[in-house]
Amino acid sequence: MFVSETMATELITVTPETTLAVAKELMQEKNIRHLPVIDGAEKLVGIITDRDMRDAQPSSLLSDEDYQRTYDQVMHHTVGEIMTHDPLTITVFYTLQDTLLVMGKRKVGALPVVDEDGYLKGIMSTRDLLRSFVNIMGIGEPGTLLCILAKEQPGQMKKIVDIVTEENVSLGSVMVAKCWDEDKRAVFPYLMTVNVARIKEKLVAQGFELFDPMSWYLDQLPGKKEE
Amino acid sequence: MKKTGFLYDDRYLKHITFAGHPESHHRLAAVIEELRGNGLMERLHVLQAQPAAQKWIEAVHNIHYIVRFEEACLMGLPDFEHQDNSICRETYDIALLAVGGVLQAIDAMMEGRVDNAFCAIRPPGHHAEYAKAMGFCYFNNVAVGARYLQKHWGIEKVGIIDFDVHHGNGTQQIFENDNSVFYYSIHEHPSFAFPGTGREFEVGIAEGEGYTLNTPILPGRGDMDYRKKLTTDMVPAFKKFQPDVVLLSAGFDGHCSDLMSGVNLTFEGYRFINETILNLVNRYCGGRVISVLEGGYNLEVLPGLVSDHIKMLLDI
Repeated sequence: MFVSETMATELITVTPETTLAVAKELMQEKNIRHLPVIDGAEKLVGIITDRDMRDAQPSSLLSDEDYQRTYDQVMHHTVGEIMTHDPLTITVFYTLQDTLLVMGKRKVGALPVVDEDGYLKGIMSTRDLLRSFVNIMGIGEPGTLLCILAKEQPGQMKKIVDIVTEENVSLGSVMVAKCWDEDKRAVFPYLMTVNVARIKEKLVAQGFELFDPMSWYLDQLPGKKEE
Repeated sequence: MKKTGFLYDDRYLKHITFAGHPESHHRLAAVIEELRGNGLMERLHVLQAQPAAQKWIEAVHNIHYIVRFEEACLMGLPDFEHQDNSICRETYDIALLAVGGVLQAIDAMMEGRVDNAFCAIRPPGHHAEYAKAMGFCYFNNVAVGARYLQKHWGIEKVGIIDFDVHHGNGTQQIFENDNSVFYYSIHEHPSFAFPGTGREFEVGIAEGEGYTLNTPILPGRGDMDYRKKLTTDMVPAFKKFQPDVVLLSAGFDGHCSDLMSGVNLTFEGYRFINETILNLVNRYCGGRVISVLEGGYNLEVLPGLVSDHIKMLLDI
């Protein structure tokens, strides 16, 4: 799950000399919010975001005439004047997990991906990250989610997978959550089938508890547990 | 009491799925036995099925898809496009007969021979997309019925109500650009249930925007949420759309003892669903409704749920 497999590689870039007018048009036309800025040698030197653009634009409270005059002046300025220099980057060896954590921690909406020499290889935006998690969860394809309570002991997952395999069903994904019950785990296999009745029966016969996700939700409501 | 048509044919039992498959011929056999045993059959107007002409299938499905499906059956393959879609050599013919059954029932109602009708057919249809078989479905029976109503009978506005516990992704896909067919589905929430579509924000595309409406129900919420949501979502939408005829995708797999789902509906819940839908139908389209069997896999409760449904159609 390296970012190199899911990052956007059809790059739309600008240089520090690009005018804001051109940069703005690019963002609108391509429906993107981040433009990596590269120099003549194609090394990454900065990034410009739609927020930077908005900061540079005149106030929408100005009269039409004032707005237009200031706007025309502003749009002649260059990307180099307002871009973020030396932006936070990641390398192609970053994993999706790294990216998820770094975006959350540093509160950025996109990360340029560079190689060891600083050349731009791709960009990971929150949209690219979302797309890859839809893929990881398998939810782009038809399937059914099971909600299983398993004892916290080795071999439980094998039992579940064996039952699914016996029924010749493919797994789209499996999520495991630490459980609110002591000594238990919640396992959520996403099965690429509608045909789950027999799998459910076999799970119950093997001692697993199938739980109603709504009862869990109700348990989580404030105050419920103290009662 | 209304004159209710009952479309059934013994040949529907000849679509044989693999041993242990939930969509088995035992489903219909159990329904027929129940209706004969409880005397309902005598009160129904029995309709004969005929295979649909291919041109009506082509009104909804891609021609290459139709041919692929026929070839898979003729070659004796065990399934078509996914292991869920178990087939046998007869499946293609029986699928044509299932669509044909809906068209016969429509003719009977439009010619005034019956007031409404229930089609006890299989294979089911609502997961079948333009060019994709899914979830035990090959041809979209209800979707072909809607096009037949429009093209053969000149009906302008068709309403489709789908209360199978799974979202009818096929029906939605076929009509999502269309403002002459309103598709409403109430089903278990797609994060938990097959096929993973049918969220509230799926409301149709382009010209069809506003002519698709989905109500996802969270697991375990059963009768309570169905009551609330049918009243707040479906009723106003149909008051506004005013269909000329309604087709029902009638699935009975949301019952609490059906392991295919988790919404936990009861017999009482199903009666409320039936009553609400039929009130709408009587009010806005002169009682013209054709109900078509989709899912329902627990052989213990399916016959009783279908009986209840038919009693409501008969208005007894």
